[in-house]
Amino acid sequence: MRVPVLLAALVAVATCTETFVGHQVLRVVPTSHEELQRLQELQGLEHLKLDFWLAPRGLGSPVDIRVPFPSLQPVKAHLEASGVSYSIMIEDVQELLDEEQREMIRSSRRLPLSTSTFNYEAYHTLDEIYAFMDLLVAENPNLVSKLEIGRSTENRPLYVLKFSTGGSNRPAVWIDTGIHSREWVTQASGVWFAKKIAEDHANNEGVASILDTMDIFLEIVTNPDGFAYTHSTNRMWRKTRSKHSGSICVGVDPNRNWDAGFGGSGASGNSCTETYHGPYPNSEPEVKSIVDFVKAHGNIKAFVSIHSYSQLLLYPYGYTTTPVPDQQELHELSAKAVAALSSLYGTNYKYGSIITTIYKASGATIDWTYNQGIKYSFTFELRDTGRYGFLLPATQIVPTAEETWLALKVIMEHARDNTY
Amino acid sequence: IPDFGHKYYLQFSTEDYRTGENAGSCLATVLYPRKKSPPVVSIKCSHTKDQNEIQEEDNRLYQRIRQQSKPITGSNIPDSYGNIEPALEPAWALAVAGSSSIMWEKSTEDVGYFLAQVKSVKQWMRKDDVIEFDYTVLLHEMPTQEMISCHMRLTWLPGHPLKVKHFCASENRRLEEGSGLGSGSAAGLSEERGANL
Repeated sequence: MRVPVLLAALVAVATCTETFVGHQVLRVVPTSHEELQRLQELQGLEHLKLDFWLAPRGLGSPVDIRVPFPSLQPVKAHLEASGVSYSIMIEDVQELLDEEQREMIRSSRRLPLSTSTFNYEAYHTLDEIYAFMDLLVAENPNLVSKLEIGRSTENRPLYVLKFSTGGSNRPAVWIDTGIHSREWVTQASGVWFAKKIAEDHANNEGVASILDTMDIFLEIVTNPDGFAYTHSTNRMWRKTRSKHSGSICVGVDPNRNWDAGFGGSGASGNSCTETYHGPYPNSEPEVKSIVDFVKAHGNIKAFVSIHSYSQLLLYPYGYTTTPVPDQQELHELSAKAVAALSSLYGTNYKYGSIITTIYKASGATIDWTYNQGIKYSFTFELRDTGRYGFLLPATQIVPTAEETWLALKVIMEHARDNTY
Repeated sequence: IPDFGHKYYLQFSTEDYRTGENAGSCLATVLYPRKKSPPVVSIKCSHTKDQNEIQEEDNRLYQRIRQQSKPITGSNIPDSYGNIEPALEPAWALAVAGSSSIMWEKSTEDVGYFLAQVKSVKQWMRKDDVIEFDYTVLLHEMPTQEMISCHMRLTWLPGHPLKVKHFCASENRRLEEGSGLGSGSAAGLSEERGANL
């Protein structure tokens, strides 16, 4: 934020007692000794209260004079009478000051210059989050890289941040936020998580030890088309923004589009509903890109997909009541994770399998990832329990992210210590 | 209960919607005959506040609304960022109370609701002492995840129960894309159910 020093000084004065309404800044370029003399005379006339921004130096050097309103007439008369030509550089100094003030306020709302000045306590637009990602990478080039795993229906890039201290295809943790676009606290938490990972690494604490042996992949805006739509048009938009032939309405529920019990009860075949599963599994590029990534990587050991609201920690299955083989371990791990989460602010979470804890859901993310062999597959439903629902006040972003992070660490540490 | 339906035994605590303070606890039984609504409900609650306190608070809310010189109007409460303008809090509070009656009527054994947002509120000034508001509210339906738009007309006089009339859009936003409307505010919300208030 560059502010001309002179104007800054004027602003400082202006905020006290003085106003510069009607003041003008005149420029004279003396081309003769006579003109130079006229200008030097002006300097001596104290009662005019002239403020020489550029004092007379020599022939050809511009002289800039701030002239208070009451002195304008006599000064101009003096110059004209002597045949000294002048130009008006600033027509009204106060107007310029006001505009500068407005600009300063505006620019403080523009993109921050570092992740240290980024406002984690506010909701951001897609552009702001994408800019944040680039800043984080630039500040931590040895830890963070940005991968484009595909493009959305509306051709927005799908970005995943990779946190890695080296190695080759290390066992990894995957975290995604914002797959349902109206769940704003999740993307906001994802941004906080990204910064937290970089910070921990820099300070050699927290997840730094996990990063010794594992990589972390974080997709902050998993549904960018939907997210943009929640900003521009409909704050309550949940799905993607795809239009398939034969569908009357727009959008597919990305959490019903996975190839696990696809199309069964627990999703809808009507494109106009919020749980429309889509024409076929992975029809949504937002989903397919993750499927392709997971398959190509082949070494993901924990997969966490984050939603809001309800305050729940869920493990598979959603599409069937048959318990997963690892039910007991996942249940115990959930208990530990929830205890860690609650320890911070006392936030109450319930946990269990999707179908027993929330409702039957087919084609859900973690059912597919579990069936791919990723044992530690979890879904979070973050704050709150319905008072604000999707419209969670921004003041709760950081506390939500902080407490959730504790639970995520429990899961990551368990995955690190229980290799399979 | 074989051949009859399902009976639920509930024990739960309540909290003040504004402050989050504990407001008491309740014991209830809910009987759904073969998944038909409405269920048969018996409920007993203990309140942390006594009648006088409640009455006082009601009166304060009432006065706060009556003192406004202009009719209260607003939209998107809370806004996208979860903010509620202090001046609109009373209108929002009444919307919460009124919506609960809509949700009570609409919910079934399998379908429940939350108040997602007050899309619009408009106060109707009356010659008598009764407070009257017109609302469009968005109800978040579970497990369908749908946003149901409801028109709600609410009247209130302290010391009397809230009177609520509502009409919810039943169509599944099939018109949404065509008419360019937003979240499920279907065009056909013109009729009011029932007689005079």
